[in-house]
Amino acid sequence: MNRLDYLVLIATILAIPLYGLWRTRGSASLGQYLKGDASIRWATIGLSVLATQAGPITFLSMPGQGYESGIGFIQNYFGQPLALIVVCAVFVPIYQRLKVYTAYQYLGERFDQKTQLLGAFLFLVQRGIAAGITIYAPAIVLSALLGWRLNLTIWLAGGLVIIYTVVGGTKIVSITQRYQMIVILVGMAIAFAVAVYRLSPDLSLEHALSVAGKMGKLEAVNFSVDPHKRYTFWSGLIGGFFLALSYFGADQSQVQRYLAGGSLKESRLGLLFNAVVKVPMQFFILLLGAIVFMFYQFEKPPVYFNQPAYQRALESGYGPQLAAVQTQFDDVFTQKRAVIRAFADVSGTERGAAMAKLQELDARARELRNQTKGILTQAGVDPKSKESDYVFITFILQQMPHGLVGLLIAVILCATMSATSAILNALGSTTAIDFYRPLIRPNASDHHYVVAAKALTAAWGLIAIAVASFASLVENLIEAGNILGSVFYGSILGLFLAGFFIRRVSGSPVFFAAVLAQTLVFVLFATTNIGYLWYNFIGCAAVLILAPVLQQTVFRNTEGSAGV
Amino acid sequence: MNVGDDKQGARSWRKAYGLALSLFAVEVVFLYLFTIRFS
Repeated sequence: MNRLDYLVLIATILAIPLYGLWRTRGSASLGQYLKGDASIRWATIGLSVLATQAGPITFLSMPGQGYESGIGFIQNYFGQPLALIVVCAVFVPIYQRLKVYTAYQYLGERFDQKTQLLGAFLFLVQRGIAAGITIYAPAIVLSALLGWRLNLTIWLAGGLVIIYTVVGGTKIVSITQRYQMIVILVGMAIAFAVAVYRLSPDLSLEHALSVAGKMGKLEAVNFSVDPHKRYTFWSGLIGGFFLALSYFGADQSQVQRYLAGGSLKESRLGLLFNAVVKVPMQFFILLLGAIVFMFYQFEKPPVYFNQPAYQRALESGYGPQLAAVQTQFDDVFTQKRAVIRAFADVSGTERGAAMAKLQELDARARELRNQTKGILTQAGVDPKSKESDYVFITFILQQMPHGLVGLLIAVILCATMSATSAILNALGSTTAIDFYRPLIRPNASDHHYVVAAKALTAAWGLIAIAVASFASLVENLIEAGNILGSVFYGSILGLFLAGFFIRRVSGSPVFFAAVLAQTLVFVLFATTNIGYLWYNFIGCAAVLILAPVLQQTVFRNTEGSAGV
Repeated sequence: MNVGDDKQGARSWRKAYGLALSLFAVEVVFLYLFTIRFS
């Protein structure tokens, strides 16, 4: 990175929060601080919802996923449009009618306080840790590649977010997310265009896509019903539906985004915008990874993309072993390039033979990268983050023109800031409204609760930075974040669906059903190796089955309410 | 359709949901054709 890059980076990440602070200057009532105001329109809500979900992992890891495993991951989003329509039709009208600040207030209105506290508690535990991961995941990659100190990177991303989120509340989160998302979309579109432009002159885009397809990178839809296949149309549609329904319907970090407009119409339009654009956006991000893959079929890639870890292994006396692998890797690369160049000129059986040879060489290259990883482990420099997370950022740093490098690093930091601000805003609001107000200071003024919400948002920000600072103690962090969400989301969704759809059930049966369901999920998590997406379904189904059973047996004499 | 909608509003929103679902179906068909073309 040169001075121009730093200028673009600093200007981009500072300008948006400063503009947001200017737009939200002056004091706000509790309603304005927690829900924004009526001036927030559907486009801002839509971009805000998109930015909250995307986060830095989408823009760092997703192209790496496309590079490594192809674009099949897109199917995980197939349940989302259906879930968003259910949220629009069922969840949003109820939240708007009850004029709640947090989703968990609905549980208090429909059932009782302990059920509200349970829902809020499950959210706080899960999202409190997730906030730290959202800051840590990009910081570890950026600090390694740019030579920044890890703690400085964590504070750069986290500190600025804490300041503006605390000062401006929900309105500033929505406004900044809108412009951060525009920067992200423009940056990624330019990166896509540059990646296509930088493909070898020997290779047209169509030819590149044909070869990438033959190498298994472009299978977007797979209708297989084989449960062992990782990404299929059916698992994405069914598993993805429950995950998205929990996330958009019952996670305060999203609920707060679409309640920001204050009108049913704006909230619904913002969500429907996401139902339409999410799949194409993820498709282009994954396809960008596949195009970067084709680029590195002509331009020699590093044998291991996490170069700082590789350098440390070289300095630790593992040079001879790494050099031996590198020689073999160079040879495989040269052969692969020759086969791809010849691919356009052959036909019929020769093309089939060339393809078989190419797949064999690709498997060999993968094996050599695994060997390198093994040597890095022996050298004690085994990195905590996945190697594929370094693919796209390496491509940016080595292949993009100056200025654009700064913009794309700003994209990653903008994504970190936008996702983190939404989570901190939700954590602060939930703690203030669901715990502080009913349990500690029930009858204070609006101004008192605004101050309390600000203090609690700041406190959660500091907790997130502390989690990010100690996150390196946890192995495989990003996967841990995904598992954590799936372990808790099922029970939370079950509480809400029981409230909406089971009319004759009261608070205590639902509360104990959720506690039992959560315990069941913990036991299954500890004793089996079920795919973690299924925990969403199991936790939710357990609440919906157990609640009526408990109502009819243990809590027979407790009258169930008819629903809100 | 739900609480918060009058009859006219409910009909409009049903159309909006139908449109969103149709667009999603078009996206899946496009992805399927893309898979067939390049795999």
